[in-house]
Amino acid sequence: MDVLNVEYMLGLVPVLLRYLPLTLQLAGIGMVLALILACLFAVVRVLGIPVLNQLTIVFISFFRGTPLLVQLFLFYYGLPQLFSALTVIDGVTATVMGLTMHFSAYMAESIRAAIVGVDRSQTEAALSIGMTNGQLMRRIVLPQATRVALPTLMNYFIDMIKATSLAFTLGVTELMGATQKEAAGSFLYFEAFIVAAIMYWIVVELLSKLQHYLEIRLNKAYSR
Amino acid sequence: MKTLLINTLLVISLFASAPLLAQDKPLRVGMSGQYFPFTFVEQDELKGFEVDVMNALGEEMGRDIQYETANFSGLFGMLQSGRIDTVANQITITEERKKAYVFSDPYVYDGAQVVTKKGNAEVRGVEDLKGKTVAVNLGSNFEALLQELPYADQITIKTYESNLERDTALGRVDAFVMDRVSASQIIKEKPLPLELAGPTFSQITNAYPFHDTEAGRALRDEVNKALATLRDNGTLASISEKWFGTDITQP
Repeated sequence: MDVLNVEYMLGLVPVLLRYLPLTLQLAGIGMVLALILACLFAVVRVLGIPVLNQLTIVFISFFRGTPLLVQLFLFYYGLPQLFSALTVIDGVTATVMGLTMHFSAYMAESIRAAIVGVDRSQTEAALSIGMTNGQLMRRIVLPQATRVALPTLMNYFIDMIKATSLAFTLGVTELMGATQKEAAGSFLYFEAFIVAAIMYWIVVELLSKLQHYLEIRLNKAYSR
Repeated sequence: MKTLLINTLLVISLFASAPLLAQDKPLRVGMSGQYFPFTFVEQDELKGFEVDVMNALGEEMGRDIQYETANFSGLFGMLQSGRIDTVANQITITEERKKAYVFSDPYVYDGAQVVTKKGNAEVRGVEDLKGKTVAVNLGSNFEALLQELPYADQITIKTYESNLERDTALGRVDAFVMDRVSASQIIKEKPLPLELAGPTFSQITNAYPFHDTEAGRALRDEVNKALATLRDNGTLASISEKWFGTDITQP
């Protein structure tokens, strides 16, 4: 077995760190947009708004039913073939769009489940004191649903951070793309990819800490 | 991102107002950045034979070169969707590709080479690949070359996005097929137990593909002119000597 080239690994750390912000940006923006979209979908599904409900079901079915890489290729390389104006979409935008739609489909279902999971008596109590549907959602249902949905949503966020590693196929040099190119230059695959793996791992660990903190906060009302 | 856009617009408007506005736009060149020693990255710097040749062409044409790196399997998609003007990644001229693109004059002449793990006594050349598993890069021309062999149905071809050298060294596949030049270079410079098996088995010529449009053909003509100059003044040969110790730019 070859000796591990520690010097090379240390030299790679500052280089790869330059690409970490882009990875986090892709996932961060993707997560915010996906959350908004997922909430809308979930509300449409729970309230059963006609037409919109059916459209949402098809959307969720497609984006859950096809691999993310297929979706990215479809948007980035496929659509400009049909509409040449769509070439203006750059790799970063296409990646964020793909991540948003793909993960919003999953998240919509877990948010819907959390909303449906809020006890019916809560809704009845709120309506009995004259709350409107909007007030009911904002003040009673969503705060309780948030507590239930948080762990699964964080799970999707973590998954999304790792999914950004597909972006290099669209020409976006993020952490994984930078690592692949460095490894191709040095042929020190183990060293290069273990550095990248540790970086992803640290980011995800920090997020787990954040999740833990948020869960404690959201559980305050229930602790005695 | 926004400042980049503004800067670009600013630069374009500056050039547009100048009398010489013919060559204001940079040439957008796609490459994988994962094909040693043609295109690879060391400490965040894009290097290699392709980069040196392209920079020399850019200087000759008076054009800036804008490099776009992506996984090899994405490069032709980027070309097809108009996001890059050409690909500098040892693209072999084939009948299939000629239907979709127009090619510049060839700038690399090479052959397909079988490479095995060091000490592999079973595979000593292309004729020994019968019943073996052979790795090639996804989307590369070497898969098609293997398919053309009379005993192609007895070869199991595995396509790789990258790292096929390592998998061959690990013994996961019996051999890989690549161009002779980069195979020799990998064996010489990298710490992998690999060796060339037999002579090359097919002549390949590599060039730059362009869109088959008026603009694409104009770019190709411009590149061809610069290529001829670099060939005549010895620049191409000296770049090749630098990376390979031999001139691979002549037939």
